[in-house]
Amino acid sequence: MIDNGLLVQMLINALLGVSVYLPLAAGQLSLATPAFYALGGTLAALLSTRWAALGVGADGSLPLPGFALELLLGGLLAGALALLLGRLVLRLQGIYLAIATIALVEITRVAILNLPFTGGAIGIFGIPQPFPRAAGYLLPALALLALAGWVCQRLEGMPLGRAMAAIRDDELAVRCLGIDTTGVKLTAFVLSAVLAGSTGALAAHFLNTWNARQGSFDASVTMLAFVVLGGSGSWLGPVLGGLLLTALPELLRPLGDARLVLFGLVILFGPALFPQGLISPALLERLGRLGERS
Amino acid sequence: MSTVPLLELRELSCRFGGLVALDRVSFAVQAGEIFGLIGPNGAGKTTLFNLISGVTAASSGELLWRGGRVGGLGPDRLNRLGIARTFQNLRLFDRLPVLDNVLVALQRRPASTPLAGLLGSARHRHGERERRERAWQLLAELGLTGLAERAAGTLAYGDRRRLELARALGTDPALLLLDEPAAGLHPAEKEALCDLIAGLRARHQLTVMVIEHHVPLLMRLCDRLAVLDFGQRIALDTPEVVRRDPRVIDAYLGGNGSPGTGAGEQR
Repeated sequence: MIDNGLLVQMLINALLGVSVYLPLAAGQLSLATPAFYALGGTLAALLSTRWAALGVGADGSLPLPGFALELLLGGLLAGALALLLGRLVLRLQGIYLAIATIALVEITRVAILNLPFTGGAIGIFGIPQPFPRAAGYLLPALALLALAGWVCQRLEGMPLGRAMAAIRDDELAVRCLGIDTTGVKLTAFVLSAVLAGSTGALAAHFLNTWNARQGSFDASVTMLAFVVLGGSGSWLGPVLGGLLLTALPELLRPLGDARLVLFGLVILFGPALFPQGLISPALLERLGRLGERS
Repeated sequence: MSTVPLLELRELSCRFGGLVALDRVSFAVQAGEIFGLIGPNGAGKTTLFNLISGVTAASSGELLWRGGRVGGLGPDRLNRLGIARTFQNLRLFDRLPVLDNVLVALQRRPASTPLAGLLGSARHRHGERERRERAWQLLAELGLTGLAERAAGTLAYGDRRRLELARALGTDPALLLLDEPAAGLHPAEKEALCDLIAGLRARHQLTVMVIEHHVPLLMRLCDRLAVLDFGQRIALDTPEVVRRDPRVIDAYLGGNGSPGTGAGEQR
């Protein structure tokens, strides 16, 4: 039921969930992840097709170093854009920030749709494959997720991560403790963008085709759902949310059309039954105590 | 007392639309003193603290810190210069453990870059150790050691007040602004707080400014008092002189001529 292709898609969505989570961990509801995801994917698609700069073989294969470089460049480009735009949009708070970042997603989508070299509505086809089979993407996707999880976990024992958590509770109080909260929020925003950009570069190769629809408002909402269902108290929440909500429609396939109804019910009642998400602070505490005992 | 005051306000005003919250207030605070600020509700006391801590910008006038102009700086910059504050309605990080509330205040000392933190460099580990030691010291000093692991939001009121003090002290300030530190405490706690503030001043070489409605407490604690009424400074002197000032008695202490009995609004 779960084939390798679905597994990779699940991992990609887990990564995007973490990308939404990072600014949220500093109290910032940013929905810009699809814009950075689209940017990374478009860059990877262009680099390996139009510009053939990374040693693409005649048979449409892509050497691994070229693939790795694309992941890096996709992340860097998205991160650079986030650094430029962050100071501007992060002046906004709460729902206004969400709206501004939705605008960013739309601007990126329309730009990719209309630029002369991004293939318009059809997009870019025949993106070279670094791996002959879907299973090949499992390793880089897992590695990226492990890296993202490691960063999130390290943050908790660091001044930066503590400042993020404190800003989530009370930003003014954090400023009154001498901390440049704009810098902290900007760092979280840039980290989120780098992750989304790299994920986009990976996804472009995996999907073999890339177009403007990859980064849409719909995607913003879906990615937010990963965090809401999984829980925003820890990075594990969006990972679980991304994995589950991607796998669920496939797992429910035997139910026929009823699966979409059931999927809708999960989205509807999940947050009602688990207001703090599946991975809630209380659950983490219980797990922590179990860990201490053993 | 040094010749240059630690903090000086020159004709400081703050207007919100048509409302004049502070009207050309001037005074200087000397290093080492405990300086009280009293006045009826709405007199502009908290607004004054907001100006001094950079939370609100002044409409006109000058704010001087150790003789240099600091008007227009944000709260983070002013804190790094040595001004820390507490809030009337407590702004703790409720979801974080008590220890982490204090650790947030210790961010900058010693400094640590995010990259060093991620990679767990020796300097970062050393810094974290130092931060934790300092945080435990502050918790011990304020009697919060046993509560270190609890979420700040679950503490009793008096403990929350002391945690906010510990957090402000974590930034190692020269000037500490206390906005109604005794509000909501019962009489025995108020007494203890009075001793605590005096002790903190001595141990941390602090200058303290304190807003308080509980007049007897202020009379005992403060070296000097300023009285605000309708945004204007109507008195500035030692407690003994202020309590006999007819304008103060009129505006605040009640016109019956028996000040010092805990008049004024209590919440």
